[in-house]
Amino acid sequence: MISLRVHVSCSDGLVAVRSKRPLPVSWCEAACPGTSMASMVASGNQDGPSVVLKGVDPETCMIVFKNHWAQVVKILEKHDPLRHTSVLTLGSSGRASRCGAIPGDEASAVQNYVEHILFLLMEEDCGQAGAMGPILEFVIMENIMERLFVWSLRREFTDDMKLEQLKMYEMLVGQARQPLLHHKPILRPLMMLLSSCSGTAAPQVEAELVLLLNQLCCVLAKDPSVLELFFHTSEDQGATNFLIFSLLIPYIHREGTVGQQARDALLLIMSLSAENQRVAKHIAENTFFCPVLATGLSGLYSSLPTKLDVPNEEWHCLHREDWLRIPALVQFLNSLEFCNAVIQVAHVDVRDQLVSYIYNGFLVPVLAPALHKTTVEEVMTTTAYLELFLRSVSEPALLQTFLSFILLHRYENVHILDTLVSRINTPFQLGTVSLALFRTLIGLYCEDVMLQLVLRYLIPCNHMMLSQRRVVRERDCYSVSAAKILALTPSCCSPDRSPPPLRQLESILFSKGPETPDKTESFSSDDGLGNSCTIGSELYLDVSYLHYLYDARLSISSCLRACQVWSAPYDGLDPPPDQYQAGVLEEPLLKTKQINIRKIKQPIVLRRPAPSADSTAAILELEWDDSYDACPVQNPEATVEEKTVLPEVEPPKHIQEMRRTAIMLVKDSYIEESEFQDDVLVYSLVAKKDSHDVERTQLRISESGASAGVEFKNGVKGSDAKMDGKSGQKNSTSEMAEDLLAQYEDLIRTLDPEVGDRMGGVEAEGEKREDEGGEEEEEMDFSAFTGETLESDTLPFPFGPKPRSGSTSRSPSVPFTGPFISVLLSRLENMLTNPLHVNLLLTGIVAQLAAYPQPLLRSFLLNTNLVFQPTVRSLYQVLAIVKTRIEELTVRRTDFTEMITTAQHWLLARESRATENTRSEEPGLLLQNPPPPKPKPMSLDHTDVFATVLFSEFLKELAAIAQEHSILSYIPMEE
Amino acid sequence: MNLNPFWSMSTNTSRKQHRSDNEEQGGHGDHRSSPARLSFGKKQLPAIPKNAVPITKPPSATIPVQSTNGTHASYGPFYLEYSLLAEFTLVIKQKLPGIYVQPSYKSALMWFGVIFIRHGLYQDGVFKFTVYIPDNYPDGECPKLVFDIPVFHPLVDPVSGELDVRRAFTKWRRNHNHIWQVLMYARTIFYKINTTEPLNPEAAVLYEKDVQLFKSKVVESVKLCNSHLFDQPKIDDPYAISFSPWNPAVHEEAKERMFAYKRRPEEQHKGTQVSGLSWVKPGSTQPFSKEDSPPQS
Repeated sequence: MISLRVHVSCSDGLVAVRSKRPLPVSWCEAACPGTSMASMVASGNQDGPSVVLKGVDPETCMIVFKNHWAQVVKILEKHDPLRHTSVLTLGSSGRASRCGAIPGDEASAVQNYVEHILFLLMEEDCGQAGAMGPILEFVIMENIMERLFVWSLRREFTDDMKLEQLKMYEMLVGQARQPLLHHKPILRPLMMLLSSCSGTAAPQVEAELVLLLNQLCCVLAKDPSVLELFFHTSEDQGATNFLIFSLLIPYIHREGTVGQQARDALLLIMSLSAENQRVAKHIAENTFFCPVLATGLSGLYSSLPTKLDVPNEEWHCLHREDWLRIPALVQFLNSLEFCNAVIQVAHVDVRDQLVSYIYNGFLVPVLAPALHKTTVEEVMTTTAYLELFLRSVSEPALLQTFLSFILLHRYENVHILDTLVSRINTPFQLGTVSLALFRTLIGLYCEDVMLQLVLRYLIPCNHMMLSQRRVVRERDCYSVSAAKILALTPSCCSPDRSPPPLRQLESILFSKGPETPDKTESFSSDDGLGNSCTIGSELYLDVSYLHYLYDARLSISSCLRACQVWSAPYDGLDPPPDQYQAGVLEEPLLKTKQINIRKIKQPIVLRRPAPSADSTAAILELEWDDSYDACPVQNPEATVEEKTVLPEVEPPKHIQEMRRTAIMLVKDSYIEESEFQDDVLVYSLVAKKDSHDVERTQLRISESGASAGVEFKNGVKGSDAKMDGKSGQKNSTSEMAEDLLAQYEDLIRTLDPEVGDRMGGVEAEGEKREDEGGEEEEEMDFSAFTGETLESDTLPFPFGPKPRSGSTSRSPSVPFTGPFISVLLSRLENMLTNPLHVNLLLTGIVAQLAAYPQPLLRSFLLNTNLVFQPTVRSLYQVLAIVKTRIEELTVRRTDFTEMITTAQHWLLARESRATENTRSEEPGLLLQNPPPPKPKPMSLDHTDVFATVLFSEFLKELAAIAQEHSILSYIPMEE
Repeated sequence: MNLNPFWSMSTNTSRKQHRSDNEEQGGHGDHRSSPARLSFGKKQLPAIPKNAVPITKPPSATIPVQSTNGTHASYGPFYLEYSLLAEFTLVIKQKLPGIYVQPSYKSALMWFGVIFIRHGLYQDGVFKFTVYIPDNYPDGECPKLVFDIPVFHPLVDPVSGELDVRRAFTKWRRNHNHIWQVLMYARTIFYKINTTEPLNPEAAVLYEKDVQLFKSKVVESVKLCNSHLFDQPKIDDPYAISFSPWNPAVHEEAKERMFAYKRRPEEQHKGTQVSGLSWVKPGSTQPFSKEDSPPQS
């Protein structure tokens, strides 16, 4: 039977390739010893060719070529079973004669000749007017390449043999002087070779295969006309269309050089797809490129450490040197970067498909639950990852995917954004890591982010008195606000008190007219006609302030430039304040990108939730949202009643409970009405309530053994009937998603066992989650946190003095500037107890916000003339509170002023140390020219001292920003 | 001193920018925004023109206190400087026809200007002037405007060349009065002649009694002013406005750049690494409300 196949294979060379089974060993008993053909060819080429062809005329080359080929043919024919007389007499004897061992000397002779003829082929130039050279023509006529391939098949087709063939083609493709791939007799055996390598596992063969594929892609990129041939040849083959692409897919997530080469090659094809609709269509509809890529991210993510070894307390984001130490993270970032690159270059169809798979296959099913894990450490780690991912992604479409996940996706009915904002106020490093995340978000200059975070609360202009609306756009021509901000400088930090080098003065002649010897005096400028003006005098300037002005100018002008793409000026007129309606946010990607997912029809059928179910869910959520957001705080009882009347619009139970306790708290002691209507921030109020509950807290702490695993649960305490119905619906959606995921996993396993193994991890994790959802009740348990701060008298409230709670869409009548601003100001107000690094982050973020040119935001933060509603707290108010506290400290503690000076020196030294490694978050503190004196050692525990120094510098920073705004924002942009 | 090519100075966006440009371009009013070209990271003072005498001196022990806008004395100059910068940007915004001004290098309190009269009695007049701003601006007197050469005009002092500004701004009110208004006023007097309480009674009387003679005197005065156009600036300052005869080698390139300028901004912004993001549909206040795919950069 086998011999029959071989007959066929010899005639057209197909069958042997189609049968994926390895050829029987007995077929070629003797292993071919000696050097491999291609390695000889390759080495011959590297060491300088044995034949020097320069100046040799083509005819001679042709004669040599034909001679060598004739020798090869002799050997080939000698062993050609077709020509063997015993072909028809099948049996053991025939088998022996036909498949008899090819003598080693014959094999190496062939190799020798082949080395030479390939070299001749490679070195041949194009004929006239782009015609084939004579050698190439001969190669094609004689079908040399295919015969050589068959020859190598006839010998034992081992990995070594594949390697030889691959190297041979790699050399030809890479170095030939005329286009070879256009010719079927060359392309066909190549494709046969490639498809015979598709199941390969030997690392060397894989490396060589990927290298060859990479080279083929380079050729494709240079000469897209070859593309057609690749499609056609594959059709002839009956194998997968566009084989070189399919062969590359399994290597997408591979580590090391092989992975990198494969990704580079794929990128070449991606950019090809941008111009070639057919390639794009093929990739999007007939391959699993996008799902493999996206779910690969999930797989790689699952192998990331769930808890990070945090170097110190100050650590708050993953820097390069951090993630380089975590190989799994490096690999994840490689793949993410590849996704980014694909999205950058690929056709829009491919891009959209990939983006939707990343959303539905990675962000929603993997990252969202990871952001809601049960311990603070895990949540912090995920937050740090998310921040790093945001920094690593640059392509707008991919950024949009991540951002819409953060802004619009709801997990357990709470927007991810709200959860993240609420965490700013948590103690431990989670708070600072969350701050760092927001620093990155704000630094994107993204309108959508700023709209959700801040601007939507300012658009209705409820935060100010009605008469003040025009002030929003008013220009502070005379630096009044800057002066008011600087006037908050604590007396102990007055610029007049600080000696050099803490304060550098530069005298600048603020006068005009011709140079006069006596500069300090006011003088008269005589213009020769008797006209004189009394002007000017010499003034002394605080040089550090000049630096702040310079910095402010840079940050505002880059922000201005960036915001040119925004849809509205946010100036109190556009968008119009009176028409503002906080709509219900939905996830557009889930809806619109369905079509793309559906495009893949075979072999797996992807099921998506029916659109009707989606829409009903949306309506339910909408009603639910309205009810609990619009509920008036002033009469909480009424709200509760209302809810019993309308049970179908109840908020989730945990939120209800939270709010109830919070309201009780307010009635009891905490008097700031209309402040907490928010789902998420109510958590912190509950925490305060819990802090009274000492017994319970201590019990908890002893239970958990005060170990590292502080519980951080997420607040679903059972659910009522209505909620069951809803969660049922949700489950069906998530089931779908998991179904989808499971199918990817199967797919990946078939493609690449390595990634498949990793996917197992995701799966396991998914199951774990299910279990948790079923049995474990989740709640945000802040009681454990509060245990730590109980003893501290300096902290009246564990999470900042007056946490302003916010709502995602509150009724427009209640003045409120949003949870983010509230949390930020709360933490800022607590400056004196914050560690230095937290204050650096905080002030950095506020300065970042203040650099935004939108009049609504600018006026809210920097205009000290604006009159706000009594319940609205402004930045200026918070700063004034901090100043008052500092003045109290100065009076109370005699050594305070002295310590300030020490701290200034310490910070100055720190600043000059960090010249190269300066992190962007550190504002230009105290610049200096002379080397600073060695500072006295000072403990960072003196947070109030450092905070005071930072505070006075922060005032300068803000004042400088306010001053620059009065200029830069009014310079007419080029028409 | 002749670094400033003809009139390309007043459209500079700010004085600060001009300083940095000046260093590299030798005074050519280059309009590209400068921050991107300044060295980042390192903080530095604005560059000083090569030909300017440094006017800073080492810190001195005595700190003269001058309170300008209240609060700390050492910030006073910053407030003043920024108030004047704000005034200057207001001037730019007004796009006053035929008027070009530029603050001096040495002090923001002194602005050099030139006014082109395009029709009327003073047609073809090119009058250079200097604006002096009191150092307690904006709480002091109104700024003075002095023509380099006393133009024959009822409201211009025939000796000092000072324009009677005070009649238009009896009391200088912060937030209401701005320097562009003074410049605008200086332009108006050449088109609409007022003879009440003149600084130059001769001109006033002639205008009332013998317009023909007045006209010929004006023509003479315009001729005189224009004949001194290429003179060295009255005040020695790197930013003083000076005219020179058309020299293709110097001016042609600058002219081409000025005319090509309008087409440039688009390209300019592509190269900058900072670019914002927005998927908000205009008119909507919802994130990701744009229906089309995200913008491709």
